[in-house]
Amino acid sequence: MIRFGIVAIVGALVPFAVPQYALTVIVAALIFGLFAMSLDLMVGYCRLFSFGHAAAYGLGAYSAGLILIHWKLPLLIGIALAVGITVLVAIPIAWICTRSTGVSFAMLTLAFAQLGYAMLFRFRDFTGGSDGIAGIPRPPGPFGMDWFQARNGYYFLVLGCLLGSYLLCRAIVRSPFGAVLAGIRENEAKTVALGYNTRAYKITTVVLSYGFGGLAGALYAGFAGYASPELFFWLTSGHVLVMVVVGGAGTLVGPILGAVFFVFLEHQLSQVTDLWPLAFGAIFMAFVLLAPQGIWGFLARVRKDSNAAA
Amino acid sequence: MPLLECRGLVRRFGALVAVDGVSLAIEPGEIRAVIGPNGAGKSTVFNLITSTLKPHAGEVFFAGEEITGLPVHRVAQKGIARTFQRCHVFPALSARENVRIAAQARDVRRWRFFGGRTVVAASLAVADEALEQLRLTRHAGMRADMLSHGDQRLLEVAMALAQKPRLLMLDEPTQGLSIEETDRAVQTLRGMLKKGDLSVLLVEHDMEVVFKLADSITVLHRGRVIADGAPDVVKTNVEVRRAYLGESG
Repeated sequence: MIRFGIVAIVGALVPFAVPQYALTVIVAALIFGLFAMSLDLMVGYCRLFSFGHAAAYGLGAYSAGLILIHWKLPLLIGIALAVGITVLVAIPIAWICTRSTGVSFAMLTLAFAQLGYAMLFRFRDFTGGSDGIAGIPRPPGPFGMDWFQARNGYYFLVLGCLLGSYLLCRAIVRSPFGAVLAGIRENEAKTVALGYNTRAYKITTVVLSYGFGGLAGALYAGFAGYASPELFFWLTSGHVLVMVVVGGAGTLVGPILGAVFFVFLEHQLSQVTDLWPLAFGAIFMAFVLLAPQGIWGFLARVRKDSNAAA
Repeated sequence: MPLLECRGLVRRFGALVAVDGVSLAIEPGEIRAVIGPNGAGKSTVFNLITSTLKPHAGEVFFAGEEITGLPVHRVAQKGIARTFQRCHVFPALSARENVRIAAQARDVRRWRFFGGRTVVAASLAVADEALEQLRLTRHAGMRADMLSHGDQRLLEVAMALAQKPRLLMLDEPTQGLSIEETDRAVQTLRGMLKKGDLSVLLVEHDMEVVFKLADSITVLHRGRVIADGAPDVVKTNVEVRRAYLGESG
């Protein structure tokens, strides 16, 4: 809790210490960090490898975008509604996908994300097709609040959502419910034999994961001011999965670090070369081969070794 | 009324009739062993009772209630705990957490998302008691996969005990253990079983283990019950000796 407090305080001071253009990259990184952490609930705690988590991101972003444009609801209410919509849509998806496991689970999640992608083009009038939707506002309120309209304010909104979601997720994985997820990860057949309806636990985890992913997507819509079909695309699902693995699955913090790492890397390299995806791939391979526990697992090991040496 | 009653269970695998009209009953407090040569259908009967396999015919009653074909987790919730022939534990979790998760399975508050400190405390108390009964207390903090094979087997029994079952089903609890480990496991199991009034169904093919633990024995051969009774009666039964002990007389 002390470490969490330090992170929160440092996070709150960031806007006063960095140049404004850097803050934009940081907000993008934090949003992707939240997105990666949401996937970690599935991948790291339930060993459910989703290859379609872009569905959650895209759903959150498009719902928030359309609500804010057409209904002009206050930003915070629009984001909350977008999360609610994502959760509702996630329930049947989770119900169907958890009928299978392993590779078929991954393929089903991918299929749903691609279905969402295809629907953007089918309902062009509503979703803008390949142009996406632009001009998403940040309407003020409720209670006349408008602090999140400025760049600094939006940073605080994103930081608050990330820290709050982290606390929620951490409480969930440490709860009695979370202990059952550990059982499912370690040995699902045994968990069933003990009397747990593991399918219900998996459905709940997928829905929770989509909920937090939807929040990330909704925050992105308000941040970027537009939503494009690539949010739903399988490449987004792939990227976020790589971030989780490189950051360290099953740690919550790791995937956030993984996402921050890759967003900054992309930002730096894309200014130099168009071939930055090559570096992305090379780093992924290096981690899988040399540090399969990811960034966070690697740091934990280094710290343990230095403690042992001291 | 028997605690568990199977009536005319049939299960086929393709052309093979693995279990062919098996009926058996376990009274409250009884320790019954199911024995038979390899391929006699012991494990299949076990899996039919726990609903891991669905029978093609026949019924299973538990405490007077039909449980045939219920989902596996519902059968466990009725109060039937099982161990697996190939040891099933949670390898990366501590022995204590293994048993705690088992204990939590019977807690109505197992769905708690947040906090749940009282749930954890309650299940820890049950877990520590079960570990004590299996003499595993000193290994409680170890990762399950760091335990010896014999201790992993006992850990699985501790998990089953922590479920507070009315019927405990053990699938070859000494399989793959050395002679010393088997002796220790049998002693521990006997100490544990003699104390309580737990009903037990034991599948085992080590005859010494069976005679040390069981009150009564059901003998299977080619999917059928060929003998049923007290250990010494079954021991002298001619048909059993022919099928099982390989005597031609």
